[in-house]
Amino acid sequence: MTDPVAKEPMAENREKSAEFVPGQPDMWAFVMFEALVFASYFVVYMIFRTRSPELYLQSQARLDLRIGVVETLVLLMSSWSMARCVKASRAGAFRSALTNALFTVLFGVVFLVAKVFEWARVIRMGFGLSTNEFFSHYFFLTGIHFLHLLIGFIVLGVVVYQLWSPGRRSQELIETGATYWHTVDFLWVLIFALLYVVR
Amino acid sequence: MNARFEKRLLVVWLILSAITLVYLWVGSVDPARTLRPSAVVTSSAIVLALIKVRVIFREFMETRHAPVLLRRLTDGWVLLIAVCLLGSYFVGMAVR
Amino acid sequence: MSTAATGTVTAVEPPAGSPLHRIGWHWRHNPKRELWLAWWTIVAFYQLYVLVFFVLTRTQPPPSPGWDAARVVQWFNHNHDGVLIGFAIIFLITGMTAPPNALIAYSMRRMSVSRVFAYTYLVLYSLSAIPGMLLMCIVLTVGAMRPDRNANLISWLYDFAFLSFEGTMGVFLIGSLVWMVAILIDKNRVFPKWFGYLNLCNALTEVVVSPAWIFKRGVFAWNGLIAWWIDMVVFAVYTGVFIVLLRKMIQREDFGTGPLPDAARPLDLDLSEWAETAR
Repeated sequence: MTDPVAKEPMAENREKSAEFVPGQPDMWAFVMFEALVFASYFVVYMIFRTRSPELYLQSQARLDLRIGVVETLVLLMSSWSMARCVKASRAGAFRSALTNALFTVLFGVVFLVAKVFEWARVIRMGFGLSTNEFFSHYFFLTGIHFLHLLIGFIVLGVVVYQLWSPGRRSQELIETGATYWHTVDFLWVLIFALLYVVR
Repeated sequence: MNARFEKRLLVVWLILSAITLVYLWVGSVDPARTLRPSAVVTSSAIVLALIKVRVIFREFMETRHAPVLLRRLTDGWVLLIAVCLLGSYFVGMAVR
Repeated sequence: MSTAATGTVTAVEPPAGSPLHRIGWHWRHNPKRELWLAWWTIVAFYQLYVLVFFVLTRTQPPPSPGWDAARVVQWFNHNHDGVLIGFAIIFLITGMTAPPNALIAYSMRRMSVSRVFAYTYLVLYSLSAIPGMLLMCIVLTVGAMRPDRNANLISWLYDFAFLSFEGTMGVFLIGSLVWMVAILIDKNRVFPKWFGYLNLCNALTEVVVSPAWIFKRGVFAWNGLIAWWIDMVVFAVYTGVFIVLLRKMIQREDFGTGPLPDAARPLDLDLSEWAETAR
């Protein structure tokens, strides 16, 4: 289960037959642990939200749902290109894999720019980290997610580096990186629902 | 790359994006009700999000092909989040 | 699996006999005795740490930053003896923070990575004990020493103490990242990769504490649900895990420079070499 499957010629058939863990199981352990920590942050948010619903509703109304939707769509696209990258690399189509990895970086950058603009907009409206409870949670959750996104760029850097030269291309590292990137995506999916939509 | 896998990923992505667009409808209720808590909006928002998360787990992160333990862990987390979020919402609203 | 305590060195038989006799033998002959001494120091230190901070001084979980000066003075009066005695103990045992840092630096020396990692970690964590622990102990002791001081001064000391203790997590953050990078690029398999990632979790939760500088109430205050309680859970898990992993490392240690043998194959160790060293 922990065997690195680098440059395996019949890698494509892997999917059809045996079960396998994508990437290092160690990264999955990390993902599960971080997911639990984020779960606790979400629960804290929900509980405090139910304690002062009016305050949260009024503050939430200042956010633009459409920006949130666009950001979610962009991250989903980045996950899509990352998944395509893994499958391409597994099949030995490394040029295609590299292109997909670079697209993932591009979509990540788009999300980053959108987020910064959104923060700037909210701050210019007069809301900051300590304005009220809702905005504390808003900046905290989007902020800690943003930090994970930045780390994601380092991870993507490793993936691109691996794909660049024929001497490397460790399938295990690429899949490990993909696992991390998808985590950035699914955490955002939840954060978006909780901050922008939940009423 | 195998065209079959390509097509599957494309379909998955389209479904995820479609669900995301549904939020535009779920999230923007008519102005009269905008500033009132709504159990329906909240529940559907959370459930839709968790559907997306599970799809990401199974299709993008490939838990479909993973050993049983990993499948159970990820599904278990989705269930845990559902219970915790919906639970804290409904209990919180009731206790208020 | 405890080679030190029960002695499975086959080439040189540790004498049978009373535990005291065996401990004495290991003390004189076991080549890993310094490592074990360091490890047991970690265990002893954390026990004392919990006793002092959670029980005697009641500074963990921290009291609220939202209190006014009068309430703060009340807290000092209530915990007067506990604070003075507890922190006096800390001043005596501060030196016990050195072996854990040394052992962790040692683990990085055993890795295939540059020695720079070990030295950086050692410097960072040695310095971080000052804002990260000692400052609070000193300042609260000063506050408790003269209970009839001006309430505003006492309140100032209170803020100073807790902010320096809870808010200076950044010094630990970089240390965690250093250890993480070392583990991830290490080829000697000293630690499993998931522990490298756990260092990242620990580093991230330290970032989460930083809002404590802004909030006097709520979940992000220095005693808040997110900034303290959830953080503490992650830190406790992290600490427990690295104590266990350090123990495994010492058990597996073969004093070589190549990959560390897996714990599952203890017979791979050439114990006759140890016998020579022991003599």
